[in-house]
Amino acid sequence: MSEADGRIEAAASFVLQSPPGEINDVLNDVRVIVNDDDTLEEGILPALQEYNLAQFIVVDVPGADHQTIVSSIARKLDSDGDEERFFDPRSKTSFKFDHLRLEASDAHPEEPDPDAEPLRAALEASALSYLAAHYIGGVTSVFVVQPPDNFVIQIVSNKYNPTNFWSGRWRSHYEIDLGELKTIRGEVFVNVHYYEQGNVQLETSHGLSLSIPPAVANAPPHTAASKIFALIEAEETRLQTSLNESYHEMSEKAFKGLRRALPLTRQKLDWDRILGYKLGAELTASKGAFTTAS
Amino acid sequence: MADPVDSMLDLMRRLPPSRVEENVNALIRICPDYADDLLGSVDQPLKVMTDRATGRDYLACDYNRDGDSYRSPWSNEYDPPLEEGTTPAPKLRKLEIAANEAFDTYREMYYEGGVSSVYLWELEDGGFAGVVLLKKVMNPSTVDEPSGSWDSIHVFETAERGRQARYKLTSTVMLQLVTQHTEKAEDTQAQTNGGHGWKSTGEVNLSGSMTRQTEQDWPMQDSSSHITNTGKMIEEMEIKMRNLLQEVYFGKTRDIVYDLRSVDDLDKARKQRELQKELVGFIKR
Repeated sequence: MSEADGRIEAAASFVLQSPPGEINDVLNDVRVIVNDDDTLEEGILPALQEYNLAQFIVVDVPGADHQTIVSSIARKLDSDGDEERFFDPRSKTSFKFDHLRLEASDAHPEEPDPDAEPLRAALEASALSYLAAHYIGGVTSVFVVQPPDNFVIQIVSNKYNPTNFWSGRWRSHYEIDLGELKTIRGEVFVNVHYYEQGNVQLETSHGLSLSIPPAVANAPPHTAASKIFALIEAEETRLQTSLNESYHEMSEKAFKGLRRALPLTRQKLDWDRILGYKLGAELTASKGAFTTAS
Repeated sequence: MADPVDSMLDLMRRLPPSRVEENVNALIRICPDYADDLLGSVDQPLKVMTDRATGRDYLACDYNRDGDSYRSPWSNEYDPPLEEGTTPAPKLRKLEIAANEAFDTYREMYYEGGVSSVYLWELEDGGFAGVVLLKKVMNPSTVDEPSGSWDSIHVFETAERGRQARYKLTSTVMLQLVTQHTEKAEDTQAQTNGGHGWKSTGEVNLSGSMTRQTEQDWPMQDSSSHITNTGKMIEEMEIKMRNLLQEVYFGKTRDIVYDLRSVDDLDKARKQRELQKELVGFIKR
């Protein structure tokens, strides 16, 4: 491996570990450390793309007044396989995406799958009302992955507060099979960074799978969609409650077991006495019979 | 352009604390010239080693390292053995032995387990500096129990001024907490969660470090006063930092999760507020 390759490999690993909303800070640091803009610009793009897709980066959709999620599900390659575009199912447009500047351009209208669209649109409507009920500034996208009855729902919620040294990101990804399997398989990731005079990070991952009752799967789109979101709502609320339980366990069992707030005596240490005990023998030896008990 | 060391330190304040060792090594690989700056300024989890002469555990860090060897505070020997390894002058070594004994008592009182080590070294201006290290690891007895580790690194510098001594203390506590859980349909309210075939797995990792500094003057009687003085300062600092960690780990990060997603229905709350406003308006009329 050449020296430049080694530096790019390290830089890519740093970029992929960026906390929510701090990719530009990490890039600025990496730029100074690598100290070779040309090599970096050329080599870092794959890592930026991987980061953006994995982290559900959101972008303003050209010509629409909403944001969409740039993820691997939204990503489409053209027939030659060399031009990458992203699809926003809500506005039914596709666009090019600049992974460094995080901007969309060159929007084209796209034709949705006619068989899957009624159910997709119903899921999207339910997703938007679910978002309004539980997320502050979240973004959602509902994709058809296998017409007519396989969908992916993604949700991302970001809060960046650099003035108070914290940031957070919640990502949900659900694969909905309303056909043969009748299942919801989901993954939820929460990342929090708190960095005032320190660096504290919360990293959680949850996987879940549950079956969809046949009555729900076979219901008309609107009913099926709202029932599915009732299931998702229950799961995500349960997940948040279980996170609270984990906090409680970590605080009561681990934190308190690692270091006591005060010794068993409920008093701070008497350092003169500790030293008295420890050095007692030595002092006794040097002072002979004239020692006094401490 | 910014100083590379500043950029490396900023980067280390942003990347996941759970991967600090891996990231420091990656930085050293690409910028070997800055290895000493990095190892001297980025705190990493302390390694537990066993003194071959006494069988006692001690903690290894950059402050008791000489080349690839680490000095034990108990036997004063390097491991792997070094012919001419740096050791404190006899007078300072005597103080180091007493400090190790004193902080070992402190460790037992607050940590009820774990390992402690104190290392002292002479400064060029005639004063001396030292580091007090404490570490405790908790391994879960079952899979569902949380695991955790606590590493304290207290670095101080002191200068005597007549019957007083001034201390500059920099304290870092690294705290890592992890829980894992798996639930299946048969062990919880499976029916309410969509019938048969319900499964949930998860991991929560809360880790990081916080650093604080203080500068204080304390009275001096003899050289052993350095132990009581730093002891009181470090005890006070750890009490303060434990409270701070509790607040940040279990308060702040949790609040941020609730800022991302609300358990309560925000839409309902919004509508209720609007209704209330209307009512107030109605009454006023």
